[in-house]
Amino acid sequence: MNENTPGAVPSGERGSGGPPLVLPRGKTESVARLVTVFGSLGSDREKRVHYVFDVGEAKYWETMVAASGPVRSIVPELPSAAWYERELHDQYGIEITGHPDLRPLVFHENWPEGVHPMVDAVNQVPWASREYRFLTVQGDGVAEVAVGPVHAGIIEPGHFRFSVVGDTVLHLELRHFYTHKGTEKLFEGSLVNAGAMIAESVSGDNCFAHAIAYSQAVENACRAEVPPRASAIRLIGLELERLVSHISDLGGLCTDVGFSVAAAYATRIKEFLLRASADCSGTRYWRGIAVPGGLRFDLESRKILGLSQAVSLAARQFADLARVILETPSIQNRFETAGVVSPEVARDLAVVGPVARASGIDLDVRRDHPYGHYKSAQFEVPVTHYGDVMARAKIRIKEAAISARLIQQIASALPIGSVLAPLELDGEMHGSSAVESPRGELYYWLEGSDGRLTRCHIKSPSFQNWPAMPFAIADNIIADFPLINKSFNLSYSGCDR
Amino acid sequence: MIFEVLERSLQQPNRVIPVEALLGNCDGSRMPDVTSARLTPAIAQRLVEVCPTTAFSMGELGDRPCLKLSYAECIGCGRCEEPSEGAVVTAPRFTWCGLPKANLARLWDLESHTEITPPRPNPEMVRGQIRSLFGKALNIRQLDAGSCNGCEAEISALTNPYYDLERFGIHFVASPKHADMLLVTGPVTRNMAEAVKTTYEAVPSPKLVVAVGACGCSGGIFAGSHAVVGGVDAVIPVDGYIPGCPPTPAMLMTGILEVLRRRTVR
Ligand code: SF4
Ligand code: SF4
Repeated sequence: MNENTPGAVPSGERGSGGPPLVLPRGKTESVARLVTVFGSLGSDREKRVHYVFDVGEAKYWETMVAASGPVRSIVPELPSAAWYERELHDQYGIEITGHPDLRPLVFHENWPEGVHPMVDAVNQVPWASREYRFLTVQGDGVAEVAVGPVHAGIIEPGHFRFSVVGDTVLHLELRHFYTHKGTEKLFEGSLVNAGAMIAESVSGDNCFAHAIAYSQAVENACRAEVPPRASAIRLIGLELERLVSHISDLGGLCTDVGFSVAAAYATRIKEFLLRASADCSGTRYWRGIAVPGGLRFDLESRKILGLSQAVSLAARQFADLARVILETPSIQNRFETAGVVSPEVARDLAVVGPVARASGIDLDVRRDHPYGHYKSAQFEVPVTHYGDVMARAKIRIKEAAISARLIQQIASALPIGSVLAPLELDGEMHGSSAVESPRGELYYWLEGSDGRLTRCHIKSPSFQNWPAMPFAIADNIIADFPLINKSFNLSYSGCDR
Repeated sequence: MIFEVLERSLQQPNRVIPVEALLGNCDGSRMPDVTSARLTPAIAQRLVEVCPTTAFSMGELGDRPCLKLSYAECIGCGRCEEPSEGAVVTAPRFTWCGLPKANLARLWDLESHTEITPPRPNPEMVRGQIRSLFGKALNIRQLDAGSCNGCEAEISALTNPYYDLERFGIHFVASPKHADMLLVTGPVTRNMAEAVKTTYEAVPSPKLVVAVGACGCSGGIFAGSHAVVGGVDAVIPVDGYIPGCPPTPAMLMTGILEVLRRRTVR
């Protein structure tokens, strides 16, 4: 809690009510990067709003305001807060003054007005039919194209409403939260150790990153030291997840431009790694391995070396495949200049992960807010400009190679010893932690008492990055949407939670 | 260039896993199996306590205490192994895929240390019948009713060169109108309930519905959430269930073929 950081600027006088929030400045003298905004209840059940910023230091900057009455919106200064404040409004019923768009975000027509799950009883919520107003784009020749929630393929549900003129997209409105599962509420009352299982089910393809972010938040709260062997193995799991994810993404991009041979080749490399992963850890996606304090069980060094050899082979094949893909003229034609996210949009919406790094934003939790074994690991963070599909593809290709190197480096010098530290869970706990997941900054914040959680907030990189999608698709042809969407590779479930 | 990619593909050995090696395979899923002889009432009690879902529960059969394991709820977390003194192990094989819900639960009499689950069809016969299905076409429409995307990742893997579902004449189609089978993942969320019903109605009869994953089978870890309606059968009728969190591609394939077998061989 630090409201008196030098260089902090007041958020101005807008609307009525609420104490003025002091926005911190970042390294570059502009307002710092917003990480997340969320609500909680104090011990007297008073509503509170928490703001977390990255001010260019290893430690995140966190502040809190009481929200018994209305709270002033920070969206006029920080557009990246828009969805967070809408979610606060939905979940806690906190009035936000000066917000340009407070339509329901998380809850759809079926949810009755005035029921706020984080404060109200929700065991018997009646079905409602409310109205939802989409934004309308008017003008000669403007047509609307509505897609979803059910899509034609093996993908998650979400609704996209395009306003087009001919083939060209003028505007895209996202309507998500079809997969909203009330996950943050599920944490309430859960045993601290069982929380890792809920975290694993937030976004299945990044389950290990979620389990680690959650576990680290608990460890920070209890001031527990994870044994070196456990943090080394955690790093291997995290980098493996990134490697698999990036290989899968490049394959997906090939599918979306009809380059099926390359796509099939990428799925083969991915499956090879998942099978090697199952041989090493007993699970394909490293579920049920991480727990607060370390790991549930040790992995044999011999098996980790086997995994590392598989990674080395897969990385070589992937690098070779990637080179050939990028040299293909029809790929260059489709990838280049498609779906540009300008540096200004990227900064305004505080995007994270490969999407940010492809738009010139030099950001990586592993380096900027080091945790676990990354504190001593050596690695580069690739950054590029242009912000198009090609830039995002290239970032992923480079990161895949770096992940593979990291895995081999750590696997060849594994510390020995135990993998689980005891936790002191008595009393009040409060902690947070961030992880660079394959999609970018993932941040967990939690509170608990006597071994049970009272609140757990998840800032997922997908929630942060989705609002940038409409900017990337504007002025592109609608037929390029699947490609541009894939190049972001956002999780619907991670966003919707 | 495209020819270079082709060349690389052709240099690769054939990866397709034969169907015999897939049916019943569950490597990487960590589904639990129980050794009846080692089960005691004390161990059974511990299993019920440690299980994060309601997969393990105590029941009674007449006046005898029994332990129940419902695979519909199991998320394969492996937490029941530690306190079990060897009574629970990671299943080396798993054939509870594609069955009706009633057949997903197993029961053990704690006094006589025996399993009292009803007998299941002879695996040899099942395998023979499944082989006779090949060559016929099946169109599957995948529907995500609110999953975490873990199940989607494994379903997508069915089309990779290791599993190559297409070799059995099974295709994923884009429209429910072209589908014979709906493969539904996730707990059905409140926000998806309507779309799930509409999609089901759009599939022409006769249609098959398969619920995938702990979430699809029972709501899994999300059961009881205010934003979730329940498993798939809370909203539409289901013909077969594929447990797991997520089920591996081999389990998915076993389940899909089992549902098809039961529909075809009556
Ligand atoms: S593996 Fe299944 S049965 Fe065992 S504890 Fe986990 S959920 Fe329960
Ligand atoms: S069963 Fe497991 S993998 Fe599948 S959707 Fe549910 S939580 Fe995700």
